[in-house]
Amino acid sequence: PRGSRVLFQQPLLRLGRPGLGRVRAKGKLADLPGNATAARSAPETRPRPSARAFETVRFLCTFRRVQTTRGAWFFCTKPAAPGAAGTPPRPRPAMRRTREEVDATLQIAKLNAAELLPTVHCLGFGPGASAAAGDFCLLELEPALCEQLEAGHSLVIRGDKDEQAVLCSRDKTYDLKIADTSNMLLFIPGCKTPDQLQMEETHCNIIHTEIFGFSNNYWEVRRCRPKLKKLKKLLMENTYEGPDSQKEKDSSHPKYTTEDLLDRIQASEEEIMAQLQVLNACEIRGYWRILEFDYEMKLLNHVTQLVDSESWPFSKVPLSICLQELGPLEPEEMIEHCLKCYGKKYIEDGEVYFELSADKICRATAQMLLQNAVKFNLTEFQEVWQQSVPEGMVTRLDQLKGLALVDRHSRPEIIFLLKVDDLPEDNQERFNSLFSLREKWTEGDIAPYIQDLCGEKQTIGALLTKYSRSSVQNGVKVYNSRRPIS
Amino acid sequence: MVQIVICSAGAGGLAEWVLMELQGEIEARYSTGLAGNLLGDLHYTTEGIPVLIVGHHILYGKIIHLEKPFAVLVKHTPGEPDCDEFGCKSGTQYLVRALIKNKILFKTRPKPIITNVPKKV
Repeated sequence: PRGSRVLFQQPLLRLGRPGLGRVRAKGKLADLPGNATAARSAPETRPRPSARAFETVRFLCTFRRVQTTRGAWFFCTKPAAPGAAGTPPRPRPAMRRTREEVDATLQIAKLNAAELLPTVHCLGFGPGASAAAGDFCLLELEPALCEQLEAGHSLVIRGDKDEQAVLCSRDKTYDLKIADTSNMLLFIPGCKTPDQLQMEETHCNIIHTEIFGFSNNYWEVRRCRPKLKKLKKLLMENTYEGPDSQKEKDSSHPKYTTEDLLDRIQASEEEIMAQLQVLNACEIRGYWRILEFDYEMKLLNHVTQLVDSESWPFSKVPLSICLQELGPLEPEEMIEHCLKCYGKKYIEDGEVYFELSADKICRATAQMLLQNAVKFNLTEFQEVWQQSVPEGMVTRLDQLKGLALVDRHSRPEIIFLLKVDDLPEDNQERFNSLFSLREKWTEGDIAPYIQDLCGEKQTIGALLTKYSRSSVQNGVKVYNSRRPIS
Repeated sequence: MVQIVICSAGAGGLAEWVLMELQGEIEARYSTGLAGNLLGDLHYTTEGIPVLIVGHHILYGKIIHLEKPFAVLVKHTPGEPDCDEFGCKSGTQYLVRALIKNKILFKTRPKPIITNVPKKV
């Protein structure tokens, strides 16, 4: 109508079925000459949406208020493309909607206010809403991570330029991926759910809510194995051979503190600490060091010879006497470290004792024997091995799982060193290397070499099904590679 | 290697926001951008069904409680006063602004609002 002022305040919400053009609602303005033409004129000028957008319902939605001289508000469609109705008026800063306006909208929408809760949220875009992508984002959390954040703990994303990023909490590691969605995700502070509104005692009837931002992608996390192979690699760069070794006097050799390791390894702190213990690493003057194997064996020999000469039981080795007797030979911290690696500490009558582990000592002795040859005659090895361990300890082949492999098909039967930590970390590469070593494996033989690949709730059986093919040979189930190994 | 810290505001300090999921895209009509503009009115029926009026369309949706909550992360440049307060290390970091445990999903086809057709004069 003449004299009316047209205010453009709303953003364009584009939701439309592809190919159908815009859905136009008839309204007062559209019926007027001139404007009607404009409203019907424009076919969809946007390019045809992609296949993915096909899923989204797209329609043009505008909201425009026209003030008549009488002060009542109407909702009308707007003319089509810019320029069709002349230069568009300058947008005014958004004014806060009033309850009367909301009620008027409800009336026109033919919604019965009695069926609605009294509170309305008037949603608008906050000042930072159009901020550049990357300034804010959504992270999908597993319940464990959510609890950590609520307790005030931080999370860390770790990765090199050429690595896949991982997210670490204090004790778990997660793969990080970006998930795209064709839907729009708006994040809204201060927006209440119906349950929350109904629990409130006083009901205000209008809440002006600002949309903080929006996104059409989010970060997705999935629990994964920590990437710990690098840890051993770093620590092996400079093994510890004792305080008197030449290496210790030269400070140019790489050494790593806990912080240094956290900076380089894609794993959580607790997982790194656990692995350091598995590697028998020792914190010497603030740096984590792996002992050179011969040095470690030298320490162990001192201990076992002392146990033998004192006729102590293996389950009750007193710390204080060890330090006293062996102190002149080696640093006390190293003797204590050796006892910790090969035994379990306990206190009795105020004295510290260690219960030595026969399994660990036999295993270390086997490694010492096996690493000097490519392969051993099995029978000969078993004899020498039994003779080399401290008297009273019994050797068993199952102590060597993940360390050595027996070949029962060769004549004579042989045994050779095969350490699981020398094998690749990636699942497919691990299986490739195992199958290139030996074509067919029984489950008993291969299990120790793939046990560490099992993720949460994943079994050896599942891994074998995925990465190998099974067959029966001489009544025994064996596994081989799914594809030819070059 | 890079370490990017995601700091949390601390125990009990995290706000809870709501996620709204719409099918489509949002554009500003003019190059002034979206900031400051209204989107629409969000009502709930007495049964708890969300009703969104955007322009001349009504959308009916539903409230979904998220099994996997979201965290809203805001990037912080080093040296920002907020982050130092929480004891974060320097370098690129994200601050957790809020957690989202509920979302309002609108996935049905919008209904157009037909205003009165004037009588022929």
